[in-house]
Amino acid sequence: MRHLTKLFSVLLLAAVLLSACGAPAATEAPAQPAATEAPAQPAATEAPAQPAEFVFGLLMVGPYNDHGWSQAHYEAGLYVEKNVPGAKMVYADKVNPADRPGTTPAQLAEDLVSKGAKLVIFNSDDMKDSATEFAKAHSDVYVIMASGDQVWKDGKAYTEMANMTNIMGKMEYGKMMAGCAAALTTQTGQIGFLGPLINDETRRLAASAYLGARYCWTNYAGKNAADLKFKVTWIGFWFNIPGVTSDPTQVADEFFNSGYDVVISGIDTTEAVTEAKKFAGEGKKVWALPYDYIGACEEGKEICLGVPFFNWGPAYVTAIKSAADGSWTSQFLWNDPDWANINNPDSSAVGFQKGAALSADAAANLDKFIGELAGGLNLWKGPLKLQDGTEYLKDGEVATDFQVWYLPKLVEGMDGASE
Amino acid sequence: MQVELRHIHKHFGAVHASNDINLTIPAGSIQGILGENGAGKSTLMKALSGFIFADSGEILLDGKPVHIASPADAINHGVGMLHQDPLDFPPMKVIDNFILGRNGGLFPDRRTAAKEFKELAVQFDFSIDPDAYVDMLTVGERQQLEILRLLWLGARALILDEPTTGISLPQKEKLFATLKKLAAQGMTIIFVSHKLEDVEFLCNRVAVLRQGQLVGEMLPPFNVDKLVEMMFGKVVSFGGRYPLTPGASTLHLEHISLEDVRLQIRDVTLDVRAGEVIGLAGMEGSGQATFLQACAGLVRPVAGKLSIKGADVTGQTHHVFKHKGVAYLPAARLEQGLVPGLSLTEHFVLAEETHGIFINRDQAIRLAQDRIKTFNIKGTPVSTVESLSGGNQQRALLALLRTPLSLILLEHPTRGLDIESTMYIWSKLKERCAQDGAAIIFISADLDEVLQYSDRVLVFFTGKVSSPLDAEKVTVEQLGQLIGGKGWEAIHA
Amino acid sequence: MRNNKWFNLGVQLAAVILALLFVTVILLLVKAPPLAAFQNIMIGSVGSWAKFSDVLISFVPLLLVTSGLLVTFAAGLWNIGIEGQITLGAIFATWMMRTLQDSTLPPALIIILTILAGMFGGAIWAALAGALKTFGGVNEIFGGLGLNFVATALNIWLIFGPWKRPGVASMSGTVPFDVKLWLPMIPDTRLSAWALGIAIVGIIVTYFLLQGTYFGLRLKAVGKNTHAAYLLGIPTWQYMMVSFALCGVFAGLAGAMQVTAVYHRLIPSISSGYGYLGLMVAMLVNYQAAWAAPVALFFAALNIGSIQLPVVLKLDSTLAGVLQGALVLFVLLADGVRQRFVKK
Ligand SMILES: Nc1ncnc2c1ncn2[C@@H]1O[C@H](COP(=O)(O)OP(=O)(O)OP(=O)(O)O)[C@@H](O)[C@H]1O
Ligand SMILES: [Mg+2]
Repeated sequence: MRHLTKLFSVLLLAAVLLSACGAPAATEAPAQPAATEAPAQPAATEAPAQPAEFVFGLLMVGPYNDHGWSQAHYEAGLYVEKNVPGAKMVYADKVNPADRPGTTPAQLAEDLVSKGAKLVIFNSDDMKDSATEFAKAHSDVYVIMASGDQVWKDGKAYTEMANMTNIMGKMEYGKMMAGCAAALTTQTGQIGFLGPLINDETRRLAASAYLGARYCWTNYAGKNAADLKFKVTWIGFWFNIPGVTSDPTQVADEFFNSGYDVVISGIDTTEAVTEAKKFAGEGKKVWALPYDYIGACEEGKEICLGVPFFNWGPAYVTAIKSAADGSWTSQFLWNDPDWANINNPDSSAVGFQKGAALSADAAANLDKFIGELAGGLNLWKGPLKLQDGTEYLKDGEVATDFQVWYLPKLVEGMDGASE
Repeated sequence: MQVELRHIHKHFGAVHASNDINLTIPAGSIQGILGENGAGKSTLMKALSGFIFADSGEILLDGKPVHIASPADAINHGVGMLHQDPLDFPPMKVIDNFILGRNGGLFPDRRTAAKEFKELAVQFDFSIDPDAYVDMLTVGERQQLEILRLLWLGARALILDEPTTGISLPQKEKLFATLKKLAAQGMTIIFVSHKLEDVEFLCNRVAVLRQGQLVGEMLPPFNVDKLVEMMFGKVVSFGGRYPLTPGASTLHLEHISLEDVRLQIRDVTLDVRAGEVIGLAGMEGSGQATFLQACAGLVRPVAGKLSIKGADVTGQTHHVFKHKGVAYLPAARLEQGLVPGLSLTEHFVLAEETHGIFINRDQAIRLAQDRIKTFNIKGTPVSTVESLSGGNQQRALLALLRTPLSLILLEHPTRGLDIESTMYIWSKLKERCAQDGAAIIFISADLDEVLQYSDRVLVFFTGKVSSPLDAEKVTVEQLGQLIGGKGWEAIHA
Repeated sequence: MRNNKWFNLGVQLAAVILALLFVTVILLLVKAPPLAAFQNIMIGSVGSWAKFSDVLISFVPLLLVTSGLLVTFAAGLWNIGIEGQITLGAIFATWMMRTLQDSTLPPALIIILTILAGMFGGAIWAALAGALKTFGGVNEIFGGLGLNFVATALNIWLIFGPWKRPGVASMSGTVPFDVKLWLPMIPDTRLSAWALGIAIVGIIVTYFLLQGTYFGLRLKAVGKNTHAAYLLGIPTWQYMMVSFALCGVFAGLAGAMQVTAVYHRLIPSISSGYGYLGLMVAMLVNYQAAWAAPVALFFAALNIGSIQLPVVLKLDSTLAGVLQGALVLFVLLADGVRQRFVKK
């Protein structure tokens, strides 16, 4: 037994070491344009004005190269450095107690401030309280809380903080497009939604996917809404925690095995894509749509119908410019896509990257759908009932932002738990 | 194989455990090594078999100097050692343990190995089930397993560090016959023992160690008195029997039945009186150990009643027995009786009744010094038990006995003790009987010891238990027959 | 023994140097400046009082957890369930505070009750692991791992279920408690002197418990040889249970500190991996209480100091974890080598 425990301890350590090494122990960040070097300016009568340096900080919940949520923010930061003269980013990633025991985001934000940051971006819901605490304690530092609703006057959690702005993209549209692509592709009429944990945000995104799917199913495919099956299975968290959440791999397999031939992912990791690829490899006709990051289709091009993604850059540029020139106001920004071109990196807050597996027909119809949305089509419009049959929107009634943001239950026609 | 040791030195801190040892053992001979506890016998043997490195000196095998880097290396050179205390045994099967240490492929050929194991076992008349688990074996059986294994691994020089203490008389005779046969085939046997009669019977030559030094060698015929004097540096006189008049009933067994995986003991009734010494004789694994453990509350009887000083304790835990003044000392001292890693002082503190929460260090050290002196342990209060020599571990174990006690249960109480210590320990134990009215039940493989110190004897044979025999009226020969299963009709008649 | 002390010290030192070399090589392999990296870790941890106070914040739960683990290690037990015990401590503490926060009781009393509840919660969870081992024959390593999962699930369920904040349930945890219910902090820092005091008292108590009491000695006997301990009259399984419970008390206390002194609410990863880190510290100090505090402090400093790596050098901060792991591994290896050497 003594030998056994010794062996075990060594194994445990080896595991710790390996896992630590497994993450790239030290990766050099991509070279950045030096902020102090002024871009070569066209010859002017005056000496070229050195733009004043403006340092902003970025706190990311995950690794900056996670191919997901945090990387999208990191790239937005680089985008700001490129587009705002004098802007310089300092950042800390893996800002969460599991990776950095004993730290709070507020404390790390202070660290960034000590490195010269005049504005700090908190990139995750995890940091909500810390962002509030920090904003209150440092009224001279601007704060962007991505995905939060603290300074939304109409929201449920409003707190007045002049130095804070909330920024969020209207992913609802992205999800509608994902739903539409799924409905235009499914051959069994059954769409699965791989949900994370249940809260207002995830409910409204799942419901958006369903609304988009139903619209395209009836209007483009010309089928009966009652024949469309749309099922949400919540795994319990944003990613797989063995023993705690349901295993997303298994959930995806179950979908594919029980006749659901398209799975839309609402979680941070790419199990839906990998499983679809596996099933397709066995000759089944199945597809998937990942989430969050523009490059997520790479893992399984042949079955990927497309990916809805966030593009934080433009909103950050606007906010940081306003902070630099003093025109800052505290706002709650829930940004639309740029309907002229939803994938325009310089203007659109959310986009949809079509996947290689999307048929030309479906792609054409999807484009039509996007056109309709651009033209003012609103799917959050009555009559719309909640899953339990209670009325959500009267006939003709258009949902307010408040109603959408705090969607109480899944809507009628969807399978799956609401609470 | 001829084995030569030249100028071997080994220090353990301040202890000079081997001091310039020179010894030549010709091939085909059986070399006896004698010496009191802590003389340095095991140390020298371990140096020869690669378990420790000598500080300096040379080892020659068949005239060639060799460097032995590890036990595995030793066996490759043909030197195998059977340890005084069979080392740490993991819970694995006998046959797996047997294969262990064999050079060769990743996948051992278990079938052939099992066949060879059985053949060897038959040769020695050892009855070990190859599919049993090693941790279920008795000390004696583990020694048997080790002997078989070393022979199988191709040992040409076999070191046996006190091998006879755990096994029964017939087994011992079988072993001796085999050793002689092996020696005749050119195998070198080194035989470490405290038992002069064994050495006398078996060995062609004897070397005596004292305090790390080789103090003398002798060839047959052996002068036993001279050997004893060499071992202890003085003349030792042997004591006689001291019979006592037994007192009140201490332990009472009524129609006790016991079961373990291998055997059943049926319907034993026995009354043990204060001051009495009862010896349990029998071949290893005949039920005497189970019986003793039942008296300690470690094995629950399946039927019958057990009381201590009139109080019924049937089915109670060992700790209840302990509170009633029962002490039990197991055979496997380092595995069951002592706590490796803890010092002598810590052991004495653990064994005593506690007062308060905090340990009084000074008092504890004084206690330890006192016990070390009383029991003549070679060690200091801070010595960890595993650094003691085998005999001194046994003394430490005996020194853990509390006062007063009403019943002392001992498995092989003098295993590994030299003659002088054996006598000393028994005088201590007898003192307990006389002064505190303690009763003693003990197991010994040494039939002389059984007859010498017991008042009554119980003989065990495959679970059968004899009625108590008067030790004065039984001879060693008769006892030897009985434990072999012969002559039972006579005693029951 | 001859020069044994110095020899041992030399071996330990060599192990530390090897670990540093190992990390240096890794740094060189990824073309990062090792000196600057180590320098930044130093500056980031002890460079200023503010930084050092952050180190101490991380030191408190780590030291508490290590104290508890020293007790279970003494009993020869691998209490891997420690993470879950921290979590349960935090959950119980949060539960108590949620129950009492609107009452008229004085805040100090509420905080004390909260901390006690945390200790109780940790003890229960540890006792469960102990019971699984004692009565169910489940090895404490596997039982503990299972209970860790259950604790995490329970925690997340509470945060996103019954205890979710009004509006949107958040990864940020439950609604923060009122400032008057926070353990008072040293001005200009987030460090609570009370928390630090509790941790230091904790390790001192552990030290004396293991070094000077009958209880500690018996526990060691149980840990080193259960069978012999039983024959020596020690109720072995009861002692194992008690050691589990004691460790749970320390873990629960750490969880309660996370709630009352650091996060002031329940968050999803409230245990923050302190349990596993504590296991490493305990192994590194070779289960000796006397060394636990300095080594825990060193580990905490590595945690905090390494934050500078991405900020200043654009290096991944897992480096701290690599260094910690390498240290333990090399010290264990060195110990193995030393034991061989000494024996021979
Ligand atoms: N590992 C060790 N550390 C310290 N001292 C030791 C160690 N091993 C043996 N000794 C000491 O060396 C001396 C010789 O011990 P050794 O075991 O060789 O005696 P022995 O002749 O085999 O005695 P016994 O008949 O009791 O088995 C003793 O004083 C013992 O305490
Ligand atoms: Mg010996």
